[in-house]
Parts: sequence; C-alpha cells; structure tokens
Amino acid sequence: MEKTVDAVSAGVREYLTFRLDKEEYGIDILKVQEIRGYEPPTRIANAPSFIKGVVNLRGTIVPIVDMRLKFNCAKAEYDSFTVVIILNLRQRIVGIVVDSVSDVMGLVPDQLRAAPDIESVIDAESVIGLGSLGERMLILLDIEKLMSGIDMGLTSDPC
Amino acid sequence: MAEVHHEAGGSGADFDLSQFYQIFFEEAGENLDLMEQMLLNLNLETADDEELNGIFRCAHSVKGGAATFGFSDVAELTHQMESLLDRLRRHELKPTSIMVDVLLESADASRSLLARHQAGGEGVAPPTGALVSRIRGLVAGEVVSVPPATATATAPAPAPAVATPKPVVEAVVAVVPQATPAVRNQEAQAGGPRILEISIQQLDHPEQADAISELFRDIPGLGAIKTLPAAGANTRLFEVETTSSDDDLLDLFAFHVARENVVIREKSEEAGEIRQVVDDKIGVETMLSTTNDAQTKEASTTPSPGAAFGFFDGAPGAPGTQAVTTSPQAGAVVDDVISKSLRGNTKAATSGSAQPEAATIRVAISKVDQLINLVGELVITQAMLAQNSRALDPAVYQQLLTGLTDLDRNTRDLQESVMSIRMIPMSIVFSRFPRMLRDLAGKLGKKVEFVTQGEATELDKGLVEKITDPLTHLVRNSCDHGIEMPEERIRAGKSETGTITLSAAHQGGSIVIEVRDDGRGMSREKILSKARERGLDVSDQMPDSEVWQLIFAPGFSTAEVVTDVSGRGVGMDVVKRNIASLNGTVEIDSSEGFGMKVSVRLPLTLAIMDGMSVGVGNEVYILPLSSVVESFQVKADAVSTVGQGAQLVKVRDEYMPVIELEKVFQVPRFDSEKTSDIMVVIEADGSRVVLLVDELLGQQQVVVKNLESNYRKVPNVSGATILGDGKVALILDTGALVRRSRH
Repeated sequence: MEKTVDAVSAGVREYLTFRLDKEEYGIDILKVQEIRGYEPPTRIANAPSFIKGVVNLRGTIVPIVDMRLKFNCAKAEYDSFTVVIILNLRQRIVGIVVDSVSDVMGLVPDQLRAAPDIESVIDAESVIGLGSLGERMLILLDIEKLMSGIDMGLTSDPC
Repeated sequence: MAEVHHEAGGSGADFDLSQFYQIFFEEAGENLDLMEQMLLNLNLETADDEELNGIFRCAHSVKGGAATFGFSDVAELTHQMESLLDRLRRHELKPTSIMVDVLLESADASRSLLARHQAGGEGVAPPTGALVSRIRGLVAGEVVSVPPATATATAPAPAPAVATPKPVVEAVVAVVPQATPAVRNQEAQAGGPRILEISIQQLDHPEQADAISELFRDIPGLGAIKTLPAAGANTRLFEVETTSSDDDLLDLFAFHVARENVVIREKSEEAGEIRQVVDDKIGVETMLSTTNDAQTKEASTTPSPGAAFGFFDGAPGAPGTQAVTTSPQAGAVVDDVISKSLRGNTKAATSGSAQPEAATIRVAISKVDQLINLVGELVITQAMLAQNSRALDPAVYQQLLTGLTDLDRNTRDLQESVMSIRMIPMSIVFSRFPRMLRDLAGKLGKKVEFVTQGEATELDKGLVEKITDPLTHLVRNSCDHGIEMPEERIRAGKSETGTITLSAAHQGGSIVIEVRDDGRGMSREKILSKARERGLDVSDQMPDSEVWQLIFAPGFSTAEVVTDVSGRGVGMDVVKRNIASLNGTVEIDSSEGFGMKVSVRLPLTLAIMDGMSVGVGNEVYILPLSSVVESFQVKADAVSTVGQGAQLVKVRDEYMPVIELEKVFQVPRFDSEKTSDIMVVIEADGSRVVLLVDELLGQQQVVVKNLESNYRKVPNVSGATILGDGKVALILDTGALVRRSRH
C-alpha cells in the first residue's frame, strides 16, 4: 500500500474502498469501526427492502443496510465473501453490506475531481467527488450524510 | 430526629430504612459539594440565573431529603439557605461575598450536622442558631456587619503555604502574657475565651497546617495560637485561645486543611492536673512512640531554659517551637503541650480507627454497562461451546465436558450477579414515602392514605437513583398542595382522608410512574394569572395540557404560601429537568376539585423483563409475560369474522379481536402448509386482544435493548433483546397492538 508514502504529505485523506458490482466507492476511514462477515440479521417488518434488519454486535443492536439494494445493483447475493462494514457515525452504529472491501487509499487533493451533475440513485449531496487513481475511478461518498438522509429511514422522523 | 436513628439502628427490621439514609447521606454530600463548588466559582458581578438556580436546587434537594428523613435541624438550616438563594435568583437581592461566606459556612454546618446523624446522632449537635439568624438577616436585606468570628471566614488571607516562625512569636507574645493559667481558667468558667487543643492529623502535606498560625496573626480578634510539638510527621498540634466557636474555627481552618483531619478539644483541666502530667512525663515518655524518643534525645542536646523546652525543638516540622521557648509563659505552655501531645496521640489513634468505612462504592454506569455487555458476549460464546460439544463422545471427552458444565454454571451465576448490580425493584423507591408522607401530613394537619401499585416493577439502578428525587418532589407536592385539609374535604363532599397513589408499570416501550391524588387539583386561572405576573407569554385560549406545562418553568409555583415543604416552584423545574435528562417525559392531567395525576414516562433502556418467546414462521418474537393472560390452541372455525374480515374469537363468553402476528409483521412463509393456530390472550391498557402465533417457545428473562439508539422506532415493537444464540429478537409492544385493534 502506497499510503505510507503519501501519508506525510499535507492534505492526504484516507479512504476505505469497497466494490458494489463493478463500481468502486470510497468512504472516510475514520468513520469505519470494523469489518465483519455477513450474518443473517433479524428482519424488521415494514422496513425498506435495503434495510436487512438488525444484528447483535457485542450486545448492541445494529441495523444492517444492503448498499447493493440501496444502489439498485443487479444482484445482491449473500455468501461467505459478503462483507459488512460497521460504521460509527455520530454515536450511531450502522452496518453496510457490500460486495467486497478492496483497500485503504490515501488521496491528496490533486486526485480529487468534482462530480459532474448526473442523474443517479445517489443523492448528489452525498457524493464528495471522484477520486482518480490511474485507470480506476473512486466514488467518494459522504457516508454520514448518506446514512442520515430521510430516504434511508434509519432515524426516527423529526416529528 | 434522634428517634429516627433509634428506629434505624436499634432494630434489624428497619434495615431498609437505614439503607436509604446511606443513599441520602451520599446524595446530600454530593449536593453540598456541588453547591460549594458552584458558590466558589460564582462571579458576584455577573452571576447568571443558571448558576443561581443550580445552587438553589442543591440546597433544595438537601432540604427535601433532610425533611423526608426527619433530620429537622438540617432541613431548617437548608431552608434558610434556600430562602436566601431564592431571593438571589429572583434578583431581589444582589449576591455579596458575605452571603457566599455565610452560605459556605452553612454548607459546612449542614455537613457536620449530617455527619452527626450518620454516626447515629450521638454527641452534641453543632449549634446553628447563629448561622440561621445571620441568614435571616441577609434575607431581610440587612447589610450585616460581620461578627469578628465570621471575619475569619470572609477574609481568608492568602497565607503562604509555609509559615515562618517569627510571626507566630509575635502573636504568642502579644496575647499570652496576660493569660496566666489561673486567669485562663477563670475566663473559661466565665464564658470568656476558651483554651482549645487542636490537632490536625493525617496530613499529606504537613506544611499546609502551618499556615493556620498565620490566620491568627492576620485576623484581629481571633485569639492566640501556639504551635505544639506533634506526635508524628504528618500531624500538627496547636493550642488556641479564642472566643470563636469550634465551627468557626473549623471553617477557617478549612482553607488550609481538610475538615475531617481537624480535631478540636476543649481544655478544661485544672492547672494542677497539668502539673501532674508534667511531673509524670518522664514515665510516660518511655511509653511514647519512637518519634518522641527522638525528640527526647534531641532535647538533651538543645540549649534551652529548661529540659522540657528542648523536648519540643526536635518535633519535626513544628515551626513555632522557637517562639514557644522564648515566651515568658513557656513553663505553662510546656505543661499544656505535654499533656496535649499525649492526648493528641491517643486521639489520633482512636479517631483513625473510628473513621467510618464506605459501605458502598459509586461506579460509573458506563462501566457497569460495559460489564453487562461483556458478560452477554460470554454467555453467547458459552452457549455456542455447549452446542458444539453436544456431538462429542462423553466417554472420550469427559474432562472437557465437565469443564464446559462448570463454565455453564459459572457463566449463569456471573450473568445473574452482573445483572443484579443494575436492577432493583421500585419498592426500594416507594418504601421511602410512607414515612415521609406520615410526617408531612401530621405537620400539615392533613389525613392522607398512601397507596402503591406495581412495586415489583424492576427498574434500572441508574434510573432509580435519578427518579427518586423527582418522585419525592411530586409526592410532597401532592400532599402539600393537592390534598385539602380534612374540613375542606368534607365541605367538598369528599372523604376526610385524601389518597395519594404511586404506581409503576411497564407500558409499551416505557416505564410509567404515576403520582395521583384526589385533592383539589390545579386551577387553570391561577396558573395563567401567575404566568402573566411572571411575564410569560400566555393566552386564555391555551389548551389545558399547555397550561399545565407552565408549572415547569423555573420559579413557578401557584402555592399561596411558601412553606418549608414545597411551594417555591423549584420542584417541578427539577422534576422536568431530571426526567428530561433520562429521555423521559412528564405529563400532567388535572381536574380542579378532583385531583391531579402526574405521569412520568421513562424509556426502558435497560429494564429486565420476563418474556415469553413465540414463533411465527421462522421468526421469534418476545411478548412481555406481564401482559400475557393465557394461551390455547384453536381450530380455524373458532374464529368468526365481522364485516370485511375483522376477526373475533370467543373466549369464555367474551369476544376478543384477533391479531395475526404473521400479517402485522409480514412474516414470509416458506412452508405454506403451516398456519398459526396458537392463540395468546394479552392484556394492555385495560383491554384484551388475542394474538395468533405458530408456537410457544418458552419463557425467559430478557434484557431490553433500545432499538432507537442506532435505528428508529418500529411500530408495534418496544425494543429488542438478544437470544441465547446471539440472534436479535424483537419485543412486542402490547399496548400498541391493543390500540391497533381499536382502530
């Protein structure tokens, strides 16, 4: 990992990258608590389909969101390689299901590109930008904003 | 008050009561500490409402508790403090440093009063009359000219930590010459200056104590001090001649040394006795500790007017010794010194052993939570091991299996112990009240009956601690404001005896604690007019519920008289604040002339619950056992429908609505053959419904976990729990299910 080389240079930020189908995403590493294998959660009635349910994480009840369903991926299979990233967002803990976790990348501001206006299932507000890594393109997500969005249905309604 | 202690300590049956004393003493101590801290931080010029309210609340809490337990002297003193603080926070008086001093002194006095009660009420109570009258003076707005003794407290000279011997010489020389032993005795008998021996023990930094001598130099009229040889390196001994009371001295010394380290003894021995001690001193010396031996040795090498003088020179860290030896009265001083240092020694020993040891420790809730979570994990791991080991051949793996059985038992015990740390039944809180109400009703001349319901409801210790104060306020308010005088009740056509009901129950995802009374209720008009008086924005069109909420504003009270029971409005302010900090809510319902009801709703953060697990499809749900009435198997044709499919079942001549959990929770069916055919009758909010489930899996105690801490509120679900296999199961909100059937 070349991140150690970059780490000293100013403005470097580290991102955990994961794959959803063919797309590669990056989220702030500091928001990641741990990475676990997938275990079937307890289903919650009347929840959106991408909320798989809740699991027991060492005594804490943690909701599990399948990002593949949220982002309308073609398929969402659960096998021994399916990975759950446990995020710690402002004292709330939530797990997200992804196809695989690839790497931890250090990105300097030079490597960041603004995301063009495109129509997608992802709210443009939640995309920080695009990370350019040679041939690879990283979609950098503001995971906190994404997860606290009303359409995620993870928090109780304001009323 | 002393009787209270006899009750508490005298018979084993009242063990519980004394347990509450302990809690009260701890809380009062904390409150006094907090108040002291806030007083010390108080900026007189810019004191804001929040600070003053905070200090006021501390005094109010201590007063409330003291009155509850019948410690009338503490209640009286804190009541006076409260009156002063009340005027301060209403900006009717401007805070002055004199007030702060008096309040600090009062806090100290309260502490010593409490300490006396805690020790069983033995000994003479420190007098508080002077303090009370001084506070009254301040409340009345007098600019009190500070009595000399107080000046000591108000003018704490920032004395350097290490006293130089010289000033002490001056102080001693200045006063001592006229005070021959005979004169002193006379004066003591005539109520004049007293001669005290003050030993300061168990010091971490003995130099601190040396600064005490400086106080006497800096504060005119306080009296004279002499440093006497101490028995140990961490002890200091002084002889003081003063007209100030012990309390004033202690307050004064508190600037330098912890109060509990100071022991004051009045010296009343005749001069002859002292001589006697001197004569015998050689004999006694030999029995003294090595410290004194060392002193004696040094004495022989020190050039001094008499052998006895040298005795002190070696006393480690006694900076005033040189002064003493040069004093014209040295001879008399020496005599005193010896007798005192001897007594000082024994005293130090006895007081050291008599120090009460704390019977409880206070631990951060987060630590207990962590412990509980870890044990939960352990239980799950253990369950997994047990499951995996089932397939092993007992003949081959006998030792391993025995070990696992032990592990099983130990884990269970451990879990039980850990859980029991936090959970206590509400009866612990409830049983505080009968006595308080009895005293209160007696004092007010009212007749009150106290009824409790749901005492077995278990509540988290953290919640119990925090809910006790608000409940106390609510119950007192009910008795003081709610219940009318017997004649008034008869006139209103009610029975002479009023009833206050305290109930607790699990309801939905919360614990609801209600305080109800059948008294006069609240007057909407009075509250509105009072609110206008206080400049609050109100209108006559406000709905009742909003009007009742007005009484939660700080300083709001509709009581006509301020009694020492309640009526300053601080109660509701505190109640609301405490409950809000627990994520709870307070609701008031009142009907003028018929009484009022205050409902406190708290979330079930860590309540433990007896649950019944039921299976629907492949899923498991938990029903609170307390709401399960019965269960039975039915044939499909026992269910009749009404209208477009609303189902009813007849159970013993009663038709009850049927709720299919399968439909409510949209449980997927993989086995289309299987249908729910077990009915569970549940009762909540006074109605019954029948739940249709596949199977009954068993009963178990479950720890209620909050779903909302990481997720959101789920309809018909009050929380979640973790099953033995580590899976999460949802706990059904029976209240919501019952309400659902009504719509």
